[in-house]
Amino acid sequence: MGLFAAIRRVGRIAEPAPPRPESSAAPTLVRGSLQLRHVDAGSCNGCEIELGGCFSPVYDAERYGARLVASPRHADGLLVTGVVTRNMAQALRDTVEATPQPRVVIAVGDCARNCGEFAGGYGVLGPVSDVVAVDAEVPGCQPTPTEIIHVLRQVTGR
Amino acid sequence: MSGPVLAAVLAAVTVLACLAVLAAPSRALPSVAGAGAGVVGAVGVVYGVAAISGGLAPVSVGWLVPLAGLRLAADATSGLFMVVTGAVGVVVGIYTAGYAAHGHMGRTPLSVLPLFLACMLGVPLADSVTTFLFLWELMALSSLLLVLAEARRREVRDAGVWCAAMTHLGFVAVLVGLVVFAAAAGAEGFPELSASAASLSPATRSAVFLLTVAGFGSKAGLVPLHAWLPRAHPEAPGPVSALMSAAMVNLGIYGILRVDVTLLGPGPRWWGLALLAAGAVTAVYGVLQAAVATDLKRLLAYSTSENMGLICVALGTAMLLTASGIPAVAAVAMTAALVHLVGHAAFKSLGFLAAGAVAAATGLRDLDAFGGLAPRMPTTTAAFGIAALGASGLPLGCGFVGEWLLLQSLVHALPAGGTMVALVMPLTVGVVALTTGLGTAAMVKAFGVGFLARPRSAEAERASEVGRAMAVGMGLAALACGVLAVAPAVLAPALSRVLPELPAGAGTPQPRLGALLRLPGVGGSMSPALLALGVAAGVLLAFGATQWRARRRPAPRTAELWACGGGALTARMQYTATSFAEPLQRVFDGVLRPDVELAVTHYSQAPYLVAKVTYRSRLRDTVETSLYTPVIRAVAAAARIARRAHMGSIHAYLAYGAAGLIVALLVAR
Repeated sequence: MGLFAAIRRVGRIAEPAPPRPESSAAPTLVRGSLQLRHVDAGSCNGCEIELGGCFSPVYDAERYGARLVASPRHADGLLVTGVVTRNMAQALRDTVEATPQPRVVIAVGDCARNCGEFAGGYGVLGPVSDVVAVDAEVPGCQPTPTEIIHVLRQVTGR
Repeated sequence: MSGPVLAAVLAAVTVLACLAVLAAPSRALPSVAGAGAGVVGAVGVVYGVAAISGGLAPVSVGWLVPLAGLRLAADATSGLFMVVTGAVGVVVGIYTAGYAAHGHMGRTPLSVLPLFLACMLGVPLADSVTTFLFLWELMALSSLLLVLAEARRREVRDAGVWCAAMTHLGFVAVLVGLVVFAAAAGAEGFPELSASAASLSPATRSAVFLLTVAGFGSKAGLVPLHAWLPRAHPEAPGPVSALMSAAMVNLGIYGILRVDVTLLGPGPRWWGLALLAAGAVTAVYGVLQAAVATDLKRLLAYSTSENMGLICVALGTAMLLTASGIPAVAAVAMTAALVHLVGHAAFKSLGFLAAGAVAAATGLRDLDAFGGLAPRMPTTTAAFGIAALGASGLPLGCGFVGEWLLLQSLVHALPAGGTMVALVMPLTVGVVALTTGLGTAAMVKAFGVGFLARPRSAEAERASEVGRAMAVGMGLAALACGVLAVAPAVLAPALSRVLPELPAGAGTPQPRLGALLRLPGVGGSMSPALLALGVAAGVLLAFGATQWRARRRPAPRTAELWACGGGALTARMQYTATSFAEPLQRVFDGVLRPDVELAVTHYSQAPYLVAKVTYRSRLRDTVETSLYTPVIRAVAAAARIARRAHMGSIHAYLAYGAAGLIVALLVAR
């Protein structure tokens, strides 16, 4: 009974849902929920920590119909974090290619948008939009879970 | 036709076939050999059908076998075994015509093939101890010659030694058992033995039972006397392994059925229990070894051992239930044994023929080196698929009906049989369920790893489909599998005549194998044909639904297979037979005792970095290593001691002769 007792003791810890965002920046492509595959193209792992927070019980992005999956074959979209390094460029292209269409590519964080702190580094190829087509962007270094979820809600439309 | 005529035709056809193969020009050798074996098989089928129909007079030829004469008689039981053997012979004959054309079998083995087939047809006909033993030994010797067809290879010679030693130890056990039986009964004809069996002392009867079950069990591959089977069957050429695994092992069951169940029986309850226990151990051990085997033919050979175990479980159940006074359920168990025997002959001959075809096309037997055969050898793949379905005991496979009947008999025996039956039956249900589950895993492995996905070796990549004769042979066996799986009613006329001859089936209502399988007295029914129809309808429905849905799907595009971002897929990323069986090997670690070596080499400058990992896992037959090695060592030690007496001096040998004579005279005084 330890598990049930813990559930009762903790109770509901998710933050109250902010109002639904107005217009959507990205095309609403999915009819049901949005299944996302995360690709780390060369991140400092700051965005990863925030992404982890997004799907934690506190922010609970799954309330808004976004969910992480383990393979691009299962996904409707990709969350790409970090600058695109030379070693990850082909893998990123392959992953986008492996995601079934219609698909949405979301660049998370300043590095993914414009190389941020790492611009000009010897192993850096460029921002995500140089390598694959990007549909939505989350600014910030690193973006807070609230900011990430804001964009995700624009994409899911919930 | 009458009995003598049929017997004479069989003998004449055999001699002619052997001579024709010996005399045929090299170019026509494959066709002649195939035709010879096929005709002998066809005669066997005709003889068997005539025997099942009944009314064949016994044949007695006084001058043929010294001192005792040759006595043949055919009842429905013999007929059933002859039809099975003959049918396998026909299929193997057609297949051999193609197989031998590849030059895999020389003239000597090909000329022995009809003789081997005729001996297997003759064993069920034997009606006296001498005739039986004579034909049994002739069969064993001819099978040995066939196993040694490729004697240039060392493994084949090893297998030949094992086969010869085990076969002859089994023969000695049968010989002593039958001689004790005949001496106690004062006659050597089977009818006389049957008449006087009840008047023998219980000790004699039990001794005869144990000796003959051990002897016949070694032929049928019962654990722990199975050691020769997974060595000899894989090393023989394809058609020969099919004959041995689908027909010869059956004769071990025939021996138990004839001598222990019919002539000696009905016996005390522990006979049934002993047979049941031996069968259960064999079934589980055989299927476990099959599940972890990586050699395709070795896997099939262990599966043979497993199925013979299941048949022995059914026979033991029938004996136990007869002795416990539940004849209606005993009849179901006996039917299960016979149906499974026929089904096993069908799917195992097909399996070995397909394995032989793969071996002929690639020159390999190692599953780890196969893969990707489905597009290269579609006919063989389909044939092996049908055989694997049969061997896994699932519906639509021809092993299903027998296993279903066996489970029915085990389940329905519960309430009426007393403590012993109530204890044994649930355990046996567990054994059968475990066997079926592991059997499915083994067959999924053999088919999936061996035939699907991508080729893992250059040989598999170069494989091409076999010729027409081999395809026709496999096609016939596949047809038999299909018919037995969907319409076991074809066996009904034969079984309705065989069952009354056996103690378990006499005087009770028999299971009715119609379109709907009905078991009178136990209240169970099942229809394989309806099941097949249901599955076919379900598949059609699913196919139609996906086609209908596909209209609204976007156009397909060609893309690289997803390999987790790691580049293109290669054959090295696939499951191999070893990796597929690894979880099972881990679970059954205590039984299988794999010989695992793991060596990790680190860089000397950077001890956290691994330079090389070497892993080697070798599976030996545990029973063989723990039981036979000490025996072989003891025999070798005794031989070393005995060798001291053989110093090569003629004087010493003369002295031995004289001493022996004096001792013999003193003893026989």
